[in-house]
Formats: sequence, C-alpha cells, structure tokens
Amino acid sequence: MHATIQKPIQEIVKYIKPGEKVFVIGCNNCAWKCHSGGVDETKMMAERLARRGIEVVGYTVPGPQGMSLCKLDHTEKVLKEDFADMVAKADSFLVLSCGQGVHTVIDATGGGMVHPGCDTIFGGETVSTTDIEEFCSLCGECVIEFTGGLCPMTLCSKQLLNGPCGGAEKGKCEVDSERNCGWVMIYERLKKLGRLELLDPYQKPKNHAKWSRPRSLKVSTTEATFSSQAGKVTVSNQE
Amino acid sequence: MKLTELFDKGEFVVTGEIGPIKGAINRDKSIHPTCAKEARSLHGHVHAVNVTDNQSAVMRLGSLAASVALKQQGIEPVYQLTCRDRNRIALQSDLLTAYSLGIDNVLLLTGDHIQLGDHKEAKPVFDLDSVQLLSMAMGLRKGHDITGHPIENPPDMAYGAVVNPNFEPLELQLLKMRKKIDAGAEFFQTQAVYDLEVFETFMNEAVKLGVPVQVGLVVLKSPQMGRFMNANVSGITVPSMWIEEIGSVDKDDRKKKAAEMMGNFLRQIKPMVQGVHIMPLGWADVVPSILETAEISIQ
Repeated sequence: MHATIQKPIQEIVKYIKPGEKVFVIGCNNCAWKCHSGGVDETKMMAERLARRGIEVVGYTVPGPQGMSLCKLDHTEKVLKEDFADMVAKADSFLVLSCGQGVHTVIDATGGGMVHPGCDTIFGGETVSTTDIEEFCSLCGECVIEFTGGLCPMTLCSKQLLNGPCGGAEKGKCEVDSERNCGWVMIYERLKKLGRLELLDPYQKPKNHAKWSRPRSLKVSTTEATFSSQAGKVTVSNQE
Repeated sequence: MKLTELFDKGEFVVTGEIGPIKGAINRDKSIHPTCAKEARSLHGHVHAVNVTDNQSAVMRLGSLAASVALKQQGIEPVYQLTCRDRNRIALQSDLLTAYSLGIDNVLLLTGDHIQLGDHKEAKPVFDLDSVQLLSMAMGLRKGHDITGHPIENPPDMAYGAVVNPNFEPLELQLLKMRKKIDAGAEFFQTQAVYDLEVFETFMNEAVKLGVPVQVGLVVLKSPQMGRFMNANVSGITVPSMWIEEIGSVDKDDRKKKAAEMMGNFLRQIKPMVQGVHIMPLGWADVVPSILETAEISIQ
C-alpha cells in the first residue's frame, strides 16, 4: 500500500485561490487505511475547507471500502456519471490520496486542475490498524532472496548489499539509536534459519537504471512487460 | 610510497590522521591550514597521514586537495574516499584523478551517514558499498572500468579498508572483512578500540585472513570527550576505566596522561598487529610520546 499523510490544512488552504470552487475526493483503499483520505476524512476535509470560507461544491470517495482511487476506469465513471453536476461546477479537485491517485483524477477529469491534499511517504505493510511500516523501496531489482526476505535497500540506512557498515552499536543503526541495524536483523534471521551461507557471495552493484523514473508495466493474463531506462523486460507467467 | 611495500618488508606501519579544514587552502600559502600544521607535527613520526573525506558528513575541504597539499610538503597521504557523496562515475573519476596527482594510498570506505553531519537534507548517494568500491578500484588497476571498458594508464595505488572490532555480532563484521579482502583490500585500519579483550577476540579471527591490520587508536583527550563519544560516535565504546583515568589529572597534565595511556595500551596490542593508525583529533603533538611509550619508532 502507499502510505500517505495529510498536508497541514494551512498549506492546503494556500493552494486555493479566492473564489475557487473545490471538489474534494478521497481514496477508499490506502488513504482510508492511513486515515488521510477515507470516507470520514474526506467529509471532514470538505467541512474544514468550508469553515475557512472555501466553496466546496461536493465530495466523494469512489467505490466500496477497498476500492483504489487509482483504478482509473472506476474513478472516471464515478466522477463523470454519479457526480457529473458537481464536477462540472468545480474549478479544481483536492485529492486526498497518494500521488498516483492525484494523477488518476487528472486523467478522470480530462485534465482538471488538482491540488494534493497529502504527502505520499512510502510503500508499506499494514502491520496493524495503527502501524504502517516500510519494508520495500520499489527499486525494480529485488535482492531479498539472499537476505531471508529482509530488504537491505530499505532496512539499511546506507542501502549496503554486502554486509553492515561499522557504525551499528548494540544492534542499533548509527543514524537512529532507536532503530535496529538492518544487517544485524538479516544476520539474526538467517542464523535462526540456518542459512547464513546465503550472505557469502559478492553482491554486485545495483542496476539503478531499473530504479529510473517514470517506469511502466504492460500486463496481460499471460505476460508482463516492465519498461525502465534499463530497457524492456517481458516475463511470461505461463511456462 | 605505497604502504603495502612497507607491510611486505615486515615494517610496523604507523599512520596518523588529519581532518581537512572547513574552508579553502589560502592562495598565497601565507596562512597554512590548521590541518597542514597538524600533519607537519606528525611528519617524521609516522609513515603516512590519513586525510579524511568530509568526516562525520560535515562539509569540508576535499580530501584529495588536502592529500595533494601534504604530498607537496613531503608528507605521504592516505587519501580517504567514501561512497556517501559520489556515484560510481565520480568514484572512478576521483580514483583516476588521485593517481594522476601522485596519490599512492587510498582508504576506501562507506562513509558516515549524512544524518550524522551538518547537511542533513542532502541526498545520500551510496550508489556502491565499500566492497563494491574495492572491487571497482581493483578493476581500474587491472585496466578496466566497472562497465568493462578499457582505460589508459591504469592507476597503481595501495587499497586499504576499514573494519570495526567492536561490532556485535563480530561474525557479521568478519564476513564483511572477508568480502573486502576478496574484493581487493590490501590492508586494514580498525575503528578506534579501547578494550584489549575485545580486540584480542577480533584479532584471533582476523589473523586467519592473512591481511595486515593496523589497530585504530583515537587519542582520549578528556573525560568529556569519552562520554561524548559514547553518546554520539557510533561504533566506539570508551570504557569507564579510561574516562576515569584521563579525568584523574588536571587539564594541564592531560596531554601527558593521554600519551601514557594510549602508549601503554598500544604496547600491549603491538605484538598482535602489523601497524597502528593514530587519530589524534587535533593533538598531533602527543603522537611522538605515544609511540615512544609503546616503544615504536619508524625507519
């Protein structure tokens, strides 16, 4: 999921010009989990803006709980059919979701003016209803086979691939003494699994071209093609 | 002069360390930067002087410029190069530049994280880790860059690396040390140690790897410094015994006391290692007494 956090209301208010009519839209998946743009927060945002003298022409969070704002066909249908009148009156859309959702609203409104209501902070695991933790950096070249599933690109502050730096103390990272050293975590896990030999081989430098932006994925039921500055890679899911 | 030649001859290799100033070298050379003054007081007592690379992630004069300045004054530099601020293009280019400017010794390391320094909002690079950096540097020596493209006039410098004997679990640090050796590390300088037992445990394993090790010593100048390092410097633990001992004398007598403490400690460690790396942190003038107490003199 994409973790998001609302921008301060004082900042959001500054985005909106005097007299600008705003439609507020949230996301029923990730932003709902983050309480940054679910049904309650979107309604509340409409009220918070209205209290500050901003004209809100409508608000919605498309689909049932679990529906992502970034699913373009659905969002487009909701905005163009269910909320057509309000959308027609809107000068802009305040989007309470990740950056993907903001772009979905651009697409769904034929290039409408958008304001981001959230900062998109990371891709995370929903550990509990109150905790979202980052375990993957979306780097495009997964290396966790040799680390017992724990990502050094994410859990090591220096993104080291061949073992720890010398900075950790009592198992804690040199950057933050409250946080476990990613490499000590990897070591302890592999030791417990009896698989320490996985750490022996030299790990070559990352291909950062696979981490280039923007990247795209074309999918079908039988194969997928990942495009980045490293080129196109097509993989079948059938063989 | 490459330090590897000294190790090969069986000499006990002594290095010091200076941190480049936060500022530039004066154009008319009339005012010598403080780091050059420190290096001069080490001259004649050590084989070479490490020049740190924006140490603690605090922006300073470049380590290469300071290294070249030392070389011009007849002091052998060990140019430190970290992965923190450079991608693989810059790292290779800087290695070629260093060799072109007369550098013979390079210490290749990951580098302290940006969050420890004075530019916390900077982008951390860490394109490579220190093992990959060593491997790439060896590639340059063999005549090709990291992509395999041939290079002209391959550089021939001695490649050093670092290791932290205080690290727990030690087995994990030794795994990294082995990888560094496989990648091309020709000598090691250790993180500062103050605990003989910890260091002995480390050396019992490290000696099996067959690469020269210089024990790292940071001169403990005051009890405040010891407490500060315990709280703020990652990877170093100063035992309370040391802190009490340096605090047992008046401020005016601390240089003498520090030299005695460090010297006695070094004398005990000397048989286990192939050299010492002393980080005086501004007290370069105590280095000769430390070496004298430890009964070490360079050829």
